[in-house]
Amino acid sequence: MRTLLATIRKELLELRRDRAGFLVLLVMPMALVLIVALVQDNVMQATGETPIRVLLVDLDNGFLGQAVEKHLRLDGGLELIRKQGDREISEEAARKVVVDGDFRFCILIAPGTGAALREQVRRRAVESFVPASKPAKPAAPATVPGLVLHFDPAVQGAFRTAVVNSLQRVLLGIELREKGAALSDTFERKMGQEIVRFELDSEPVLTLREASDSGGRSSRRPTAAQQNVPAWALFGMFFIVVPVSGALIRERQSGTFRRLMTMPISLAGLLAGKVIAYILVCMAQFVLMVAIGSFALPLLGTSGLVVGPEWPVVGIIALSAALAATGYGIMVGVLARSYEQASVFGAVSIVIAAALGGVMIPVYVMPRSMQAVSVVSPLAWGLNAFQDVFVREGTLRTVGPNLARLALFSLATLSVAWWSLRKSRSGE
Amino acid sequence: MPSHGNVPAGREPVRGDATETGAGEEILKVHRLVKVYRGAATPAVDGIDFTVRRGEIFGLLGPNGAGKTTVISILCTLLRPTSGSVTLCSQDTQRSPARLRSLFGLAPQEIALYPSLTARENLHYFGSLYGLSGRVLRRRIEECLALVGLSDRGGTRIDTFSGGMKRRANLAAAILHSPRVLFLDEPTVGIDAQSRSLILENLKTLRDGGATIVYTTHYMEEAENLCERVAIMDRGKIVAEGSPRSLVAAMDGCVNLEESFLRLTGRHLRD
Repeated sequence: MRTLLATIRKELLELRRDRAGFLVLLVMPMALVLIVALVQDNVMQATGETPIRVLLVDLDNGFLGQAVEKHLRLDGGLELIRKQGDREISEEAARKVVVDGDFRFCILIAPGTGAALREQVRRRAVESFVPASKPAKPAAPATVPGLVLHFDPAVQGAFRTAVVNSLQRVLLGIELREKGAALSDTFERKMGQEIVRFELDSEPVLTLREASDSGGRSSRRPTAAQQNVPAWALFGMFFIVVPVSGALIRERQSGTFRRLMTMPISLAGLLAGKVIAYILVCMAQFVLMVAIGSFALPLLGTSGLVVGPEWPVVGIIALSAALAATGYGIMVGVLARSYEQASVFGAVSIVIAAALGGVMIPVYVMPRSMQAVSVVSPLAWGLNAFQDVFVREGTLRTVGPNLARLALFSLATLSVAWWSLRKSRSGE
Repeated sequence: MPSHGNVPAGREPVRGDATETGAGEEILKVHRLVKVYRGAATPAVDGIDFTVRRGEIFGLLGPNGAGKTTVISILCTLLRPTSGSVTLCSQDTQRSPARLRSLFGLAPQEIALYPSLTARENLHYFGSLYGLSGRVLRRRIEECLALVGLSDRGGTRIDTFSGGMKRRANLAAAILHSPRVLFLDEPTVGIDAQSRSLILENLKTLRDGGATIVYTTHYMEEAENLCERVAIMDRGKIVAEGSPRSLVAAMDGCVNLEESFLRLTGRHLRD
């Protein structure tokens, strides 16, 4: 116990004075969480996960603009902006804000579009009543000025298609409604008497509902914070491999390890002291990341992290990941022959494990071969467990398999380190 | 007298006056010690024997690569010998290394301290590992700092110390738990005359307090002044053993230990 407590105290003292290590352990993941969450929030906006801001320039000032606005607002996918400050926006100004990248899309309704639409629809309704003896005439080409959708060329194709489809659907609804009304009027005139009003409802009868599969549990839409806070917190925790292995190499190079090995101490106590000290650091790191996700990100205008009621499970996942990270760091520190070897191998292996584990891009967008490899990344186990709780409202039972993988990884790495140290202590 | 490992091929080891070996209790006994590193063509230690008595300062001398550090590592239970035995305080070091570790202290060749910690924090850590705590630990820390002349620098980080101060702090860490045997691997290398003089005085004080000291050095003058007995090693064997005075007397035309040493080990450079 004395070895354990003395080692914890010594390791924490050393870490407190290691400014470079402090930067790697606390400031780097903090900056990563902030930057990546903000960037990804923007990406999510740009790919439709959050309402897209669209500029609406209505030079027609009639029923059409109002109808478009009403239906798009009901649709919820687009956030319509009509004014810049207090002023209405001109066509020229609208194009400029799209070119400047302030808006990705701008819907322009030319003057007279509404009136032209009604006139065209009325004319077609009249022409559609053709005597049986006369051949049908082809419909005259549309002369309605129409709507123009200006978009930033940098907008991704899928995203542009989504906006175009959404707008087309709204326009189709409006046109259908107008056609129904025109048809009703024409009937009335042709039949010479008032008929029951014929009005087409533009609302769809068949609807498509979105439902994400979460194994019978309720689910939350993933936000940038829910993806990035656990991902980069895990990355930061596993980056402890650099200071942990560095400290062990320095101990060996400076002769302190040689001195320690001649002391009446247990190897297990020495290792446990180091593991606990670094787990404390990892947990402090994680709490800081969660605090940033929950409080700092909303202040910067993006959605914050919602931990939910299963916070004890979140704590257990973090603890398991911290143990795995520390075990790996100690193993690298024991097996590496030089500081350079430990720091380069340690850092590169963590970046690779993070990439494979879905920290940088989600695993499901990776090629199949990479997806198969990603199952061996401890960061994937940790991230899956966090996502299970944050997005799928998972429980201790559902994250159990990933916790078991992390625990086995910790056991394996620490056993290798212990075996190697024991071998060197016995002078074999 | 064993003749097997303590002689270069075809030569008898030079022996000093046997009466100068003292008649105290044998605290360290090395018997036919051999160490062959894996893959090495020749043994690093080649069947050596020597005995150290209580309260003695025993010098292990030799050129680079003679096998001194390997011997110290085996004595400290850090290395397992290929054959032979080491008995420390009447116990075989291979059978019960864990039990013996509280009986000796080691000051390695390197500055085996944590650079970002202060001298006092380093001593507190190592003292705790030796099982000291509370008032006893604090008292021992202050005593050891005073002994090595670092009382007023105990709160200073090791990485700001001069070479001499680091060496003194390194020694303090080895004597915290008042060991019965102290192993010092070149404790005065690379430091100024003042620090060296202080360290040598400290060793005499420790010896006078009952500690037995085994130390390696390249400084012949230092060994001549400090050690009751020395063993000169070359190529893993002991080529001479005895009091410095008797070894000088045994070599015709030599006036000091350095001349005797060069006569025994040769003047050619070692890697």
